[in-house]
Amino acid sequence: MADSGPGAAEAPPLGRETLARIRRSKQLYPWASSAILPSLWAVQEELGYLTPAALLAVAEELGLEPSEVEAVATFYSMYFRHRAGEHLIQVCRNVSCGLRGADELLRHLERALGVEDGGTTEDGAFTLEGTVECLGACGGAPMMQVDRISYENLDAAAADAVLEQVRSGAPRGRRSRARA
Amino acid sequence: MAAVEAPGELLRVTIDDRQVEVAPGSLVWDACEKAGVYVPVYCAHKKLEPVAVCRMCLVEIEGMPKLQPACATRVSQGMQIRTATDQVRDFRRGNLEFLLLNHPLDCPVCDRGGECDLQDFTQRYGPGRTRSAITDKVHFDKAVRLSDRILLDQERCILCWRCVRYYEEVTGEREIVLQERGVHTLVDTFEHRELQSEFQGNLPEICPVGALTHAQYRFRARPWDLRRTASVCPKCSYGCNIFIDAREEQIARFASNDNPDVDDSWLCDRGRYSFPELNRTERVLNPEARLGGGRQPVAHSEALARAAGALLRVRGDHGAGAVGFLCSPQVTNEEGFLLQWLARQVVGSPHLDHRLEPLPELSPEQFRLGIAELEERDAVVVLGDAPERSAPVLTLRLFKTETKRRRRVLRVPLGTPAASLLEPLQGCRSVGVVAHQEQRSEAVALSRSLAGAGLSSSVLTLVEGMNARGCQDLGVSPAVLPGYQPAAEPGMHGRAILEAAAAGSIKALVLLSPDPEWERDPAFEAALSEVEALIVVTPWLGLASRQATVLFPGRTVAEKAGTVTSTEGRVQRVRTALQPRFPFPPDLRVLGELGGALGTPLGVQPLAGPVFSLIAEAVPPYRGTQGGLRADWGAPA
Ligand code: SF4
Ligand code: SF4
Ligand code: FES
Ligand code: FES
Repeated sequence: MADSGPGAAEAPPLGRETLARIRRSKQLYPWASSAILPSLWAVQEELGYLTPAALLAVAEELGLEPSEVEAVATFYSMYFRHRAGEHLIQVCRNVSCGLRGADELLRHLERALGVEDGGTTEDGAFTLEGTVECLGACGGAPMMQVDRISYENLDAAAADAVLEQVRSGAPRGRRSRARA
Repeated sequence: MAAVEAPGELLRVTIDDRQVEVAPGSLVWDACEKAGVYVPVYCAHKKLEPVAVCRMCLVEIEGMPKLQPACATRVSQGMQIRTATDQVRDFRRGNLEFLLLNHPLDCPVCDRGGECDLQDFTQRYGPGRTRSAITDKVHFDKAVRLSDRILLDQERCILCWRCVRYYEEVTGEREIVLQERGVHTLVDTFEHRELQSEFQGNLPEICPVGALTHAQYRFRARPWDLRRTASVCPKCSYGCNIFIDAREEQIARFASNDNPDVDDSWLCDRGRYSFPELNRTERVLNPEARLGGGRQPVAHSEALARAAGALLRVRGDHGAGAVGFLCSPQVTNEEGFLLQWLARQVVGSPHLDHRLEPLPELSPEQFRLGIAELEERDAVVVLGDAPERSAPVLTLRLFKTETKRRRRVLRVPLGTPAASLLEPLQGCRSVGVVAHQEQRSEAVALSRSLAGAGLSSSVLTLVEGMNARGCQDLGVSPAVLPGYQPAAEPGMHGRAILEAAAAGSIKALVLLSPDPEWERDPAFEAALSEVEALIVVTPWLGLASRQATVLFPGRTVAEKAGTVTSTEGRVQRVRTALQPRFPFPPDLRVLGELGGALGTPLGVQPLAGPVFSLIAEAVPPYRGTQGGLRADWGAPA
């Protein structure tokens, strides 16, 4: 996780509002380590991803070793450690979706966006994540989420339509149960 | 760790038809050990809390539907445990197959080959062959430099968590964590930062496989090439127990040798990695004597005769007080004791020391508290940072005392008055005071004040130098005789001896294993160039060996047998781990024979055993201690 983004080293890594959220979550739990998850969410909402400097800042705020914070940050795939695109596409590849064509869907998206699994399009519009576990919509497999909104029963044409819709900024489909 | 101490009746359990009784709170693993039934473990470690993540230790327990981890299951009355069933056998085989799935199998170039639990368990319990192609393995980085001391092979790691828990539970530093998850999990530091700990060398020892290895030991030896000798770490007075592993008369590594009362199986890096100095081959190899113009190799007997002649001449011309005796605290008890015998009984001089700086007010009261006893005190007061700088492993004992034993550990600045400690010590009944030798009087005064305030209090003093404590107990110092009897006529301390030599009132000096550090001291140089007779026993080339009128090749601490006394008064054996590169007698015999040549036979063989008997006669607290016991200096006055 070398990508700390331009200026990340000099600028104070976290804004005032984020720091306040971290301090609030620290008050909520008997152990500071319990506050790592909400603190990282706060950071990710501000910066879009977790920089090493931000991990250090979180460790400092919570009075923990930076190694502990990094261990948590790397354990969960929904924390980003690289600058992500404006929109995040997550393709479920667990059993149900796998059986119903998730691999083909992913390959199609790779072709359509011109990036590989894990990559970000050159214009910075999309990041494609294709190693995502079950997103709880097996009934609509294969499925993907874009910016945490689920799109189900996808084939190539349906996926293209979703991309088009997102690009154009048109109103989106139903919200998933995952909370933002 | 193992059992939680809880009073109560013993629990009777059956393991594969063997019956044992164990204390309540014991783990199934402990019970199996007691019954002599071996259970393979990876994540479990005697000094760490159970986590039960590796599943290697699963056993059958009657009444439980699934296999249970022996390392984390507490025994109950009448428990029936089975470790040799088909189910257990199949499970072990399957578990090993998983562990080997992505293992690089580079045993032929792995430092742990021959002493690796993955090799051993696979041999014993594992599948003989793999079902997946070797080309399908997931790869990670190899030989990652975590520091100049430690290398990490990420693909050899079996994710047992021991290294992570070591940092959490033993040092508290948390430098290493597991990152990522699933098949991608790996051991790493924050942002690949270099390890900073003073205790990194313990990592390769707790790692059950070849993932964490010593840079210093890389490609140095195979375990079956090594000759292992139990000894004591020479780097400070704390007395950590070690194994000296030698190959072809060279030390390949120091390994820890768990003594729960002293080191608790941990070494500091300063001690562990210190051995290269003992492998140096530039050495004094021959007895030599100054003959006419230059110095020449002579027979041992001639060197003895010349040394005796020179000492007799000086004593005859200038009196016994013109002879000074100095050794470093690296000498054994037996050597130190014979040096003081040589000085006081044979030559008749009071000028004798084991260090340069004076050490007034020596008394056993500075040494009442033992290392392991720290854990039993309600609170421990540490004066300044000198004690932990002097003996780093003390830090780990203090951490354990604080975290696992939940005692109060107060690190206070020098000069803290007892009165200001009463509040932080509120509710404590017993307290230990830990101090460096420089603060010994302050520590005793503080301890007395605390005792005056109704606390039971005693002092642990950290002395400087491997056997400084033994030298003090045995009177290798100018003001006290063996056993802290005050000398009727105190002699000069080390530096005063050197100054008197430079000024011409000391005419002969006997140096036994002089500290190479002294050579940077102008007083040492001035003394050596002025004395008429300089008798030196040393392993090392340098100023002392160059200036000597008679020189005997000395042995390093790895080349001799005897006892040394740690700072808490524990009398421990050092053993001959290496054969010296010369055929001449050991330092102890040189001292004994020199006495004989001066007209006072020692009366016993100049060997460690017989000389220890003399010590035990002269210093009763030493009786029967040489197997590693603390000398008992009696209850506080
Ligand atoms: S590096 Fe060694 S001790 Fe650490 S988790 Fe891996 S196998 Fe266990
Ligand atoms: S604390 Fe002292 S005796 Fe123990 S390993 Fe370190 S240097 Fe050696
Ligand atoms: S397997 Fe894809 S949503 Fe459950
Ligand atoms: S040794 Fe028991 S689960 Fe690892």
